[in-house]
Amino acid sequence: MGNKVNSTCETCPQYNAKGLKKLGLNTENVDFVVALAGNPNTGKSTVFNALTGLRQHTGNWPGKTVTRAEGAFEYNSQKFKLIDLPGTYSLLSTSQDEEVARNFILFGKPDVTVIVVDASRLERNLNLVLQILEITDKAVLCLNLMDEAKRNNIKIDTRTLARDLGIPVVPTSARFNEGIPDLIQTINEVATGKIICKPHRIKNVPKNIENAVKTLTNEIEQQYPSIPNSRWIAFRLLEGDTHIIEALKTGELV
Amino acid sequence: MNYSPTYALLIFFGFSIVTYLLFRPRKGLFWVIKNNLESNEKIVIEDILKQLYHSENSGKELDVNSLTNALKFSNSTIIDVIKKMTINELVESDGDVLKLTSTGRDYALRIVRVHRLWEKYLAEKTGFDKIEWHGRAEEMEHKLNHEETNLLATQLGNPKYDPHGDPIPTKLGKMADLDGEFLSSIAVGSVGRIIHIEDEPDVIYKQILAENIHIGSQIRVVENNKQRVVFYAEGEEFKLAPIVAANITVSILKKEDVIEDVIVRLSSLKENEVAHILGISKESRGDRRRRLLDLGFVKGTEISIDLISPMQNPTAYLVKGTSIALRKDQASKILIKKDVEYGE
Amino acid sequence: MSKNSIENIIALSSDLRWQIGDDFHDGLAEGIYADASEIAGAAVSADDQKKRFRLDAKIDKIVTSKTWGFPIMFLILGVILWLTIIGANYPSSMLAQLLLDTIHPLLKNGAASVGMPWWLDGFLIDGVYLAVAWVIAVMLPPMAIFFPLFTLLEDFGYLPRVAFNLDYMFKKSGAHGKQALTMSMGFGCNAAGVVATRIIDSPRERLIAIITNNFSLCNGRWPTQILIATIFIGAVVPPSFSSIASLSAVIGIAILGIFFMFFTSWALTKTVLKGEVSTFNLELPPYRPPRFWKTIYTSLIDRTLIVLWRAILFAAPAGAVIWLISNIYIGNESIASWTINTLDGFGFLLGLNGVILLAYIVAIPANEIVIPTILMLTVMVSGIPGGEGAGVMFELDSVTATGDILRAGGWTLLTAINLMLFSLLHNPCSTTIYTIYKETKSIKWTTVASILPVIMGFVITFLVAQIWRLVF
Repeated sequence: MGNKVNSTCETCPQYNAKGLKKLGLNTENVDFVVALAGNPNTGKSTVFNALTGLRQHTGNWPGKTVTRAEGAFEYNSQKFKLIDLPGTYSLLSTSQDEEVARNFILFGKPDVTVIVVDASRLERNLNLVLQILEITDKAVLCLNLMDEAKRNNIKIDTRTLARDLGIPVVPTSARFNEGIPDLIQTINEVATGKIICKPHRIKNVPKNIENAVKTLTNEIEQQYPSIPNSRWIAFRLLEGDTHIIEALKTGELV
Repeated sequence: MNYSPTYALLIFFGFSIVTYLLFRPRKGLFWVIKNNLESNEKIVIEDILKQLYHSENSGKELDVNSLTNALKFSNSTIIDVIKKMTINELVESDGDVLKLTSTGRDYALRIVRVHRLWEKYLAEKTGFDKIEWHGRAEEMEHKLNHEETNLLATQLGNPKYDPHGDPIPTKLGKMADLDGEFLSSIAVGSVGRIIHIEDEPDVIYKQILAENIHIGSQIRVVENNKQRVVFYAEGEEFKLAPIVAANITVSILKKEDVIEDVIVRLSSLKENEVAHILGISKESRGDRRRRLLDLGFVKGTEISIDLISPMQNPTAYLVKGTSIALRKDQASKILIKKDVEYGE
Repeated sequence: MSKNSIENIIALSSDLRWQIGDDFHDGLAEGIYADASEIAGAAVSADDQKKRFRLDAKIDKIVTSKTWGFPIMFLILGVILWLTIIGANYPSSMLAQLLLDTIHPLLKNGAASVGMPWWLDGFLIDGVYLAVAWVIAVMLPPMAIFFPLFTLLEDFGYLPRVAFNLDYMFKKSGAHGKQALTMSMGFGCNAAGVVATRIIDSPRERLIAIITNNFSLCNGRWPTQILIATIFIGAVVPPSFSSIASLSAVIGIAILGIFFMFFTSWALTKTVLKGEVSTFNLELPPYRPPRFWKTIYTSLIDRTLIVLWRAILFAAPAGAVIWLISNIYIGNESIASWTINTLDGFGFLLGLNGVILLAYIVAIPANEIVIPTILMLTVMVSGIPGGEGAGVMFELDSVTATGDILRAGGWTLLTAINLMLFSLLHNPCSTTIYTIYKETKSIKWTTVASILPVIMGFVITFLVAQIWRLVF
């Protein structure tokens, strides 16, 4: 199923010239691991299918994917493994899907995290984006459902958005395979280090919390100088996340 | 064997009744026996300590008789246990009056800590109804050891107050303050915030719950006399008997702390009205609260009604570009300020 | 790192958190949204961002209106069920013709010509093959019709509106409005219904939906209900009313199932599930025109074939067991007839008989093979002429002939009614049980979900039988 040509776009020269090969379920010996995160109902599974050539069911209904789905694609003769995380509104709460998503991004240390957002509901989706950017430096924003946004007369200045977030932004309409080649190329550039992200860090945290977070972050950095996401760990410690406490004890985070 | 449908039915119903009597929740014979077997000296000691602690805090003095009245144990059990407690230097007697020693006080504080933490746990991490929290915590306070208690506290984010507004002692016995006045003694016209709702006695607590009064809400007292206390909170009017009002503690707000006089509940929003969210009531807890925050029900967000379901509940609200349905009881815990309509 | 420094960090965080107090999560969430609002504000420009797409709003006003909301909903569900049950008849009988009437004799002849020993031929072809063939013939067509239709509605975005309309009713019993959909999905297949409960993100309500899904009459059970109702209920009334009477009986059973679903949901919330966390939120996503062929394709692959494959895996050994118990003799009695004799007393108490109970035990893997098993066992123990031999399941084309066999096996109107009730109220099929375990990862809840309905079935059929015998 993996190599089947199933849209006109895949036969166009620009697409093939870049050396894309959808590998479906064949996820062995990969060079990079890519996580796919996003709110429910943003077409995340559609993006996953467009990238891997798989056909996971995608309902118009929040919360289709609960267990992790995996797939792969090859680009410029490098193999990418793609992991579709459960769709969540946030990573701060206790539900099972959030735990799966949160732990994978934190402990699985994916090479790139692609965050799929609904272009017509950007503000709501940014909630999750900003949380993910606290955890990882290597991220790509996939601005999906551009077709719907256009229909609703919503215009998005992707350059401003990319500058403010500090990560590359790729507009797509995954249902029609639009923007997918661009997305793949950007994933590749972030994975190989051609693009260096400077992700936005949450600024509007209330004073008393910010002070506590700073104190704790300093303490963590003193103990673990190499830790990349000490601020997130401070957030989680203050939240009382026992998983993080365990991980600190076992040294899983460093 | 002679079969007759009547006999079969009789045997069946007899069997069902026996099972019911044995295993019905809490009052079933099986549970009663099980509880009696479990109630041992430790529980009696801890209950006495707690009773003494609470009385001393409210300035009352207790002797053996009043202890027997307050606790469900027999007089002889209590006398036996108190003898042992005196030997172990947990209590000392001053004439008839019993007093806690400092060791006794520390012990009592630990029990109080477990009790309040467990109530917090029930409120935050489980779906048990409010009315059950106290009873369940009464059982649990005897079961958790020191380490389990501290782990529980960490998981809950070391809370300062239990869900009723009582301060939770820390590991070292430190406690936040609870400064306030009873609602029954507040002057007409003053504005305050509900900081504590007492969960005992049961009868009064149930009345407060039935009124749908929320902890953390800002109130304005408009009438206070021997017959009743009347106050406004979150756009609704409440009338309470003074004896009920005495179980609610309010901290009086200074003028500059009074936020808005126009706080109303989201459940009172009408179609075509627009409002801004002021916050979520303290009454919404745990996962329910977090979910609302995650969905964008945060301070300053614009909100309006998108759709009302055929049976009037739930209602779908338009928040940050998405239509999200909430049930009435959830909407009553979101506080809003309605936008002034122009052109009317 | 030294243990001490880690303990220090943890102690520091505990202390800091205590100082911040209860508002930590709120403060953080508000802070993040404030950032989000600034960033979105700078990047997004819209003509009128707040107005939802107007066609959407119009559709919503109609499908959730007081007047039209419910009629539209019931009409759509009715049409889907009707298409599934009636529409599946033709492909089902074609498949039966092919797999049971054509290929089965071919295989038998083939086996005979290569000189396969009778026991191997019986075990493999009469046992395993027949059970699998039966499951495919009965199960595949309705699922291949039901799931794509349901999936189209899902992809369009209508289903969340159904949950929205019905939530109030479900809330009364402590359940989630989305349970309306997992329940409807259960009318197609309980295993699929259980998987579908993933859309319910509140732990308590999800468990309720999983445990009560079995009360939706799945399409493995519809044919049993229809057949028995036609034979026995239809015969009670004048012939001109018989089809209406039997149809109402079947619908009555399905509605009774919905009643039990509500009742059990309510009872579970009040008792064992009291302490599970319960939250509610329901997003009403914008409508999206489904991509027709893609949807059909994925629903066939994802739902129909996966469920079918699982059912086949479970049905194959069941077929083998059915053949073995009818053909292995202890003394001069086969295991089957010995079990039937043992169960007859208990069966009588329930207004059923040993054959039915044994059929339900061996047919745990798939409800589809209950009727063929009952027919085979009835013929075997009562010694009436007919059937294809010990351990060979069969069904007859003629409803009257089927009725004659059952009556000869001692069936009365009471047996029929109680079989219909028991078919509604018994343990889920093994595919569903396995799915429940996979979804809940809990032996406790899997056990509850498996045992609860069968206990209810025993109690209800028992009561009906006694009262029936007192009255008539």
